[in-house]
Amino acid sequence: MRLLLFDAILCLLLLTLALASILSRQLAHAVILYIAFGLMMALAWARLAAPDLALAEAAIGAGLTGALCFSALAHQQPQLKPDVLNWPKRLWPAVFVLLMLGGVLAALLQLPPSASQLIAVTQAGIGNSGVSHPVTAVLLNFRSWDTLLELVVLLLALLGARQVAPEVKPATSWPLSLGWSRLLAPMVILLAGYLLWAGASQPGGAFQAGALLAAGAVVLRLNQQLSWLSWSNFWIRLLIVSGVLVFVLMALLAILLTPGNTDVVWLRWPPHLAAGIILLVELFATLAIALTLTLLVAGEPASTGAEHGCGEGA
Amino acid sequence: MMVVLLVLPLLGTLFMLLWPKIAPLLALLTASVCSLAALQLLFLVSEQGNQQVLLAGWPSGLAISLEANSLSSLLILLTALLQLLVGLYAFATHRRDKLGAGFWPLSCMLQLGLTALWLSRDLFNLYVCLELLGIVAVALVSLSGDKAIKPALNYLLLSLFGSLCYLLGVAILYGAYGVLDITVLAARWQADLPSSIALLLMTLGLMLKAALWPLHGWLPAAHAAAPAPVSALLSALVVKGPLFILCLLWLQLAGATQVAAVAPWFAGCGLAALLLGGVSALRTPFAKNMVAYSTVAQLGYAMLALGLLLRFNQPLFAAALWLFVLAHALAKAACFLAIGEITATLGGKRINTLKGASQTMPLAMFAFAVAGGSLIGLPPSGGFLAKWALLQGLWLQGGQLFWLLAIVLATLLSAAYVFRAVVLAFDRADPVAPDFAPRILPQWLALLPALAVWAMALYSEPLLQLLKQEGL
Amino acid sequence: MTDLSSQLLLYIGTAAGLFGIGLYGFIVGPQTLRRILALNIIGAGIFMLMVVLAYRGLAEEAALTLTDPVLHALILTGLVVAVSATAFALALLTRLNQAKSAQCKPDQLRHGQEPEQ
Repeated sequence: MRLLLFDAILCLLLLTLALASILSRQLAHAVILYIAFGLMMALAWARLAAPDLALAEAAIGAGLTGALCFSALAHQQPQLKPDVLNWPKRLWPAVFVLLMLGGVLAALLQLPPSASQLIAVTQAGIGNSGVSHPVTAVLLNFRSWDTLLELVVLLLALLGARQVAPEVKPATSWPLSLGWSRLLAPMVILLAGYLLWAGASQPGGAFQAGALLAAGAVVLRLNQQLSWLSWSNFWIRLLIVSGVLVFVLMALLAILLTPGNTDVVWLRWPPHLAAGIILLVELFATLAIALTLTLLVAGEPASTGAEHGCGEGA
Repeated sequence: MMVVLLVLPLLGTLFMLLWPKIAPLLALLTASVCSLAALQLLFLVSEQGNQQVLLAGWPSGLAISLEANSLSSLLILLTALLQLLVGLYAFATHRRDKLGAGFWPLSCMLQLGLTALWLSRDLFNLYVCLELLGIVAVALVSLSGDKAIKPALNYLLLSLFGSLCYLLGVAILYGAYGVLDITVLAARWQADLPSSIALLLMTLGLMLKAALWPLHGWLPAAHAAAPAPVSALLSALVVKGPLFILCLLWLQLAGATQVAAVAPWFAGCGLAALLLGGVSALRTPFAKNMVAYSTVAQLGYAMLALGLLLRFNQPLFAAALWLFVLAHALAKAACFLAIGEITATLGGKRINTLKGASQTMPLAMFAFAVAGGSLIGLPPSGGFLAKWALLQGLWLQGGQLFWLLAIVLATLLSAAYVFRAVVLAFDRADPVAPDFAPRILPQWLALLPALAVWAMALYSEPLLQLLKQEGL
Repeated sequence: MTDLSSQLLLYIGTAAGLFGIGLYGFIVGPQTLRRILALNIIGAGIFMLMVVLAYRGLAEEAALTLTDPVLHALILTGLVVAVSATAFALALLTRLNQAKSAQCKPDQLRHGQEPEQ
């Protein structure tokens, strides 16, 4: 009963934060409320027996999206007047929303209380998947095509963002933050490595590790370290695309290694090699994710502005 | 074969990012090899029947399933060929039009996303494909620079909202049935409330993404703002992706009562798109907007055919639906390339720019007129085949006078906006002087798909047979 | 009417509520940044619904005491896709704002953003 009370308070808090974020007068408040909302969401997911998702949500919903929103906020022009909407402009959307909400709720309440039978199928398949953590097995073996496409989407977001990227002015860093960032960096790398390794058997995995690594890199980057970290550097480009590249090469290799190529099955890992392949794919995916996220958040340094077109020019 | 079609664009994109200098070469190479592979897949499918693959060798339900039937392979072939054509056009004009080098990897990703979408038979995988497609499309639109940012952002937001609606539908369906594979799901389907709501949500999202009336508002601005080769790709291919999923959902999943309830709405939306889109195309003062509104109108035909197919379950309507999609893709690519070439050479965005174009740029104008003929449905073009199948289907049903009249009216409207441009082009009294000497190669490239759409008539029998039995 | 336990009902209701709140914010706006936030809230609501659906295996006293790993994997994929899309949308928004402020001060027209060649 006490747990139910906790759940109720958490849900109420989530709804309140979301509503406040939507209705708040100032954009900065909205962003801050959204970050708080993301953190609460992570808590709710941890409560719902999804700790690895909670990690990811805290890194993304609260951390990454928040950081991105703040950097967008910096370029936003100051609001001259707080916008006030007249009531018809608020009423009709509200009616529409209530209708949709009613439909969705009616559908959700009729869902069966039992979970999918796929759980049993997944359990049966894990033995041959090369990893023991079911979520990792689904991500990198059973439904690896989704994951591959997801990495492509991430790469694509970087391409798109670079293409429209405005110039970033570097802020001068103060000595204390510089010192701290140098102290922080090795710890972050260590922790990310652990998360990646743990992903095979426990909550954790490529994306969480990559997000953590990116956080470390962004801190260093904001303190004018790592100036070589830019798209125009060939090796950085290679590392960024390596997430997808290694994935594809491994899949091609797996086709070659399969004895008796009667029928070619895309993305099938041979069971005895699966563990190694998955670890390799995850390792490069982590590096690629970390670099992609770093470049997305920190942007290109202005000093390379002259050679900015290097990736796309010529 | 499917593996080749998926891997090639993927590897092509990656190598383009690594070595941007040879990107155009790689893009053309990828597109040509993919065209050959798609042709081979089409032959394979027509000989051995549908090719179904469960990815990664896991049992059905757990694995993502891919399926190549004759329709998918036809669409893959169309995608690869149009990519090749548009790539050539972009290569021929990239210096003049200042097309950023970002175009090449993005267009290759577009090919990957579309091929993956035509093949996928898994609800969640389709969501990822949809997102990939939407973001690539927006990135391509934003290549135009500052003037395109606002429409691109609007397009992105609506497209994301559409995907989220689709995702909510997927979540509800998974909650109810516990599977994502469409074939497995179809076997377990029950026409109850959760599945109806999920279908409606997914339909809403997909209609938004496919710019089907009344959710088409974003399309004209976005397609008109994009560079000419990009508009051609977007109008010809990208809007067809969500339409394909919509047909997949309603033809394979939905139960009889659900279908009966929604069919008149689809047909009505299609009709409204035809009429209102046609009127808007007739009224707009800008050349590219006219072609973009014509896309809205022409998508109405596909929607109308889908509605009628759902209502009467007559295979002719299925043939009409996919013939419209194919013919429109070719014709619209030709239209956008021709108009893009004309407006770039004559230096203006308004339709008035076309004045005297039959004298200054006869080839491009000819391409536009020929493609326009297919949009109107003049015999013996691909557009005519589609419309003929539609009319024949209605005739066989009997007593559908209202729909027949409506189609005649829509045809008159499309004739009106095509002739508006053509008549202006033949006004040779005071032609708009070109800014520089018109170039021949891009005009020929614009003419190619226009000729191809008329050549469709030569293969009308096999095409009709193929698409009629397919349905989907 | 329903066989779901009260805890599940609570969370499902919250997820639907978040969807509704996000939807309202997306339609009403008015600033673009807020509409992007609203989209993220819709996304969070949908992912939360999926988490709850995955939790059903645990909630009932069934033989299976496991959350649904397939749904968890789908959510991870969906989260990455969502954050990619958000990042791109925010980049577009930033560029739009810069172009606007450049219009106000024509001297400071952006330079170095177009490829040089």
